[in-house]
Amino acid sequence: MNRQQCEDLIAGILQTSRAGELQVTLNGVDRLGTRFNDCAISQNALKLQHTLTLSARLGQKKTSLSINRLDDKDLIKRSIEQVFANCAHMPDDKELMPAPGNLIETPEHAFSASAEQIDIDTVGSWVAAACRAGGSANIDLAGLLSIQKMFTAYGDSAGGFAYERSHNCDYHVTASDSHGSGWAEHKGVSLRERDVLRATRRAIEKCSKAQNPVVFQPRPTTVILEPQAVGDLLSIAFWYGFDQRAADEGRSAFSNHDEALGNLSLYSDPANDLFPTLSFSSDGQQLGKSIWLDHGHRQQLVTSRYWAERQALEAKPSPANLILSGDGNNLQKLIESTDDGILVTRFWYIRPTDPKTLGFTGMTRDGTYRIENGIVTHPVVDMRWNDSVLRILKNVIASGIAVATGEFSAMVMPPLKVAAFNFSSLSS
Amino acid sequence: MFDLLKQACEIATREGCRFADARYLDIRKQRIMSRDQALSGCNDSEDSGFGVRVLYQGAWGFASSPNYQAAEVKTVVALAMQIARASARALREDGVNWAPEAALKLNFQSSCERDPFAVSLEEKADLLVSANEIMLQNESVKRAQGYLMFKRVQRWYVNTEGSELHSDVTSSESVIWAIAVGNDDFQERNWKAPSSNRGFDAYDKAEFLLQAERVAAQAEEKLSARISPEGEFDIVTDSENLSLTIHESVGHATELDRVMGYEVSMAGASFVTRDKQGEFQYGSEQVTLMADNTLEHGLATQGFDDDGVPGQRWEIVKDGVFQAYSTGREFAHYIDEQRSRGCSRADHWSSIPIVRIPNLLLMPGKQPLSPDELIADVKHGLYFEGMDSFSIDQWRLNFQFGGNAVWEIKNGKKAGMLKAALYQSRTPTFWNACEATCDANHWQAHGVMNCGKGDPMQIAQMTHGAAPTLFRNIRVCRGRDS
Repeated sequence: MNRQQCEDLIAGILQTSRAGELQVTLNGVDRLGTRFNDCAISQNALKLQHTLTLSARLGQKKTSLSINRLDDKDLIKRSIEQVFANCAHMPDDKELMPAPGNLIETPEHAFSASAEQIDIDTVGSWVAAACRAGGSANIDLAGLLSIQKMFTAYGDSAGGFAYERSHNCDYHVTASDSHGSGWAEHKGVSLRERDVLRATRRAIEKCSKAQNPVVFQPRPTTVILEPQAVGDLLSIAFWYGFDQRAADEGRSAFSNHDEALGNLSLYSDPANDLFPTLSFSSDGQQLGKSIWLDHGHRQQLVTSRYWAERQALEAKPSPANLILSGDGNNLQKLIESTDDGILVTRFWYIRPTDPKTLGFTGMTRDGTYRIENGIVTHPVVDMRWNDSVLRILKNVIASGIAVATGEFSAMVMPPLKVAAFNFSSLSS
Repeated sequence: MFDLLKQACEIATREGCRFADARYLDIRKQRIMSRDQALSGCNDSEDSGFGVRVLYQGAWGFASSPNYQAAEVKTVVALAMQIARASARALREDGVNWAPEAALKLNFQSSCERDPFAVSLEEKADLLVSANEIMLQNESVKRAQGYLMFKRVQRWYVNTEGSELHSDVTSSESVIWAIAVGNDDFQERNWKAPSSNRGFDAYDKAEFLLQAERVAAQAEEKLSARISPEGEFDIVTDSENLSLTIHESVGHATELDRVMGYEVSMAGASFVTRDKQGEFQYGSEQVTLMADNTLEHGLATQGFDDDGVPGQRWEIVKDGVFQAYSTGREFAHYIDEQRSRGCSRADHWSSIPIVRIPNLLLMPGKQPLSPDELIADVKHGLYFEGMDSFSIDQWRLNFQFGGNAVWEIKNGKKAGMLKAALYQSRTPTFWNACEATCDANHWQAHGVMNCGKGDPMQIAQMTHGAAPTLFRNIRVCRGRDS
């Protein structure tokens, strides 16, 4: 739906409801997803999904209701009546805030004209080209090429409105044979055939260097974490640990914790060149640049509007991306500076083990190598690790050039060289 | 409701598709969240639409739409065929080998004695807020939370083989938890009301209040618990804790699509290669794991799967020996089986079915054995209760699990509580260390509501069950420095 269509639909809904306050969100996703394994396409789907969410407020009571049929006027009318009817049965919530009523600037940083042109046949031909590259190398390839074309619109009865189009492109590929595996990706708001083929070649190269891994006895070791591993770790750490209210109330690793976490800066910015995002949150707040760690020093964390008002702070909604500053070293330079260490391509199955210390566990996967005297010498068997993100950030020795990554959210991460990373046991 | 689905299949047949199926889903959900004395949210959703899958020119195509009308059905079939043509650019050498299945007409309805969508919001709010108030009576508890989630999925399925299937499944889930805050620590303790294919009749306010008092007291106790020791110990797991271990180390490991490399790029593969079938000593003789997609109230009990195959019951591990995989129709031929086990499920009308873990149950011990008697046989060990940190490698071999509450066992009795305890093992090592499991009187089922698999990820539900079980000499480590 275009801006005018969304504006008309939202205005019509807001006019219909006079009983109380209403916030309206419209989301639309067209997703082309082509999945492949063994150098053949296994699943290929087009997913069209539209969602209309109505959030009604009567005094200090609030409920929401979502439907997926935007063309059914009767259903929309019934839904408005229903969401207010539900609202009347709710107990009061003193923390409810009125609709923000913001007229939001939407510069469409995350809209890509080239991604908009990608169609089913294009996706099929790019995946087929990648599969041919795998076949030529006699290596199995498995992965996903996904193009999401999205719009998001927001309106509220306090006069707030926003509409923005965006794209999300994801190509990730695992190259494997019976002796080892390698992995690579391309993430961002656009994708070209050469990005697909470059990532494919990189995965194949990683696989060829991962043949017949040998055991490295797990112990605290210097590691170089490639950007994917850094992104996987920080995205889950942010989710679990970076809330201002939890920190203020003693329920966070950041409660009574003022020690500097190394020297890197962690921030969010919808206008980031490498992985731009939407300019507003789902509840109608403008997303701007927010700094969470400034040269290792904790700044104000994610703060709800209620908590911001109560503590006289600025509201800081959950961000749409995370960016970690890097030192600008390339990965090769980090490797050359390492006498004895492990190079990690990516992590897998990261889960918290201790919220108080931001402790996590996880596995290495698809390309783990020994570094000796500045050279990658051989692959090693994957390992489990148990470590604290607070300690990992403090132990960063050097960092590299940030790139777009992120399994579940938009991340822009550099490779990190970290001292005494705690490997704890062997995998397969 | 079947007419347009049949029309989709007729068009696909006419256009030369070797196979096609069409599903229409009507999904209703409600999620109610509580924070201390208030409800922090009540979100209802209604979602309906249909998907058409075609096997055309040797390749799969799938398309879907929320607009269930005759003209749109034609468009979606044409789109699915266009996608299949794009898929044909990279065909599998051995093609698609689709296991036969007789045409079936079936109407399945899950048990729902009290429709959760007909229960007043006031009653639901009272259940959650009353539990929170009980938890907050404990002075150490600074935050009490909970949620209720209800889902009703009505599904109509038609395929070109003549099957016409309908299911109507209602499921319920609820969790309450307390966060206790001390001078320099905070700890969470929760209670999961067993998730199942049942209605609001699954919940009892008196039970919520009882559990609220218990978890609040145990959250407080965790604050002063000592950090877990490390080393090799005997461990006893309660049924909820072991349910997740069953899920991760057996359920996923024995999905045949993983074994065949279809999930390599995301969820991973499996160490349970085909040569192990019928021979591999997965566990000790105490270990029999039964798959049962006919289990009453089981979350994977839906009458039939999204390949049109009825729910079945089979042994995955019998007396410790690996017997059989979970399969869908596309995968049965890889192990020379003539029929799918009926495990192919999609999480939405716009999702493609993939092989999912069935309801998977560790069968109880045959000899009378209570948890106290089980613990009495442990000189120094740990007792793990509830689910906490969980992580397993992409081969389903190296795993590490925590417990929501853990106690030390000394001289056959539960002693003080421990915190940050984790057990770490390899799947066959762990299951072969199983010495005993309690009898059927102590067996419980637990639901998994958020099983992620696929790429893009799909979320599925299934039930696991176990009785308290003893494992000897398992490595214990900790998530926090001492």
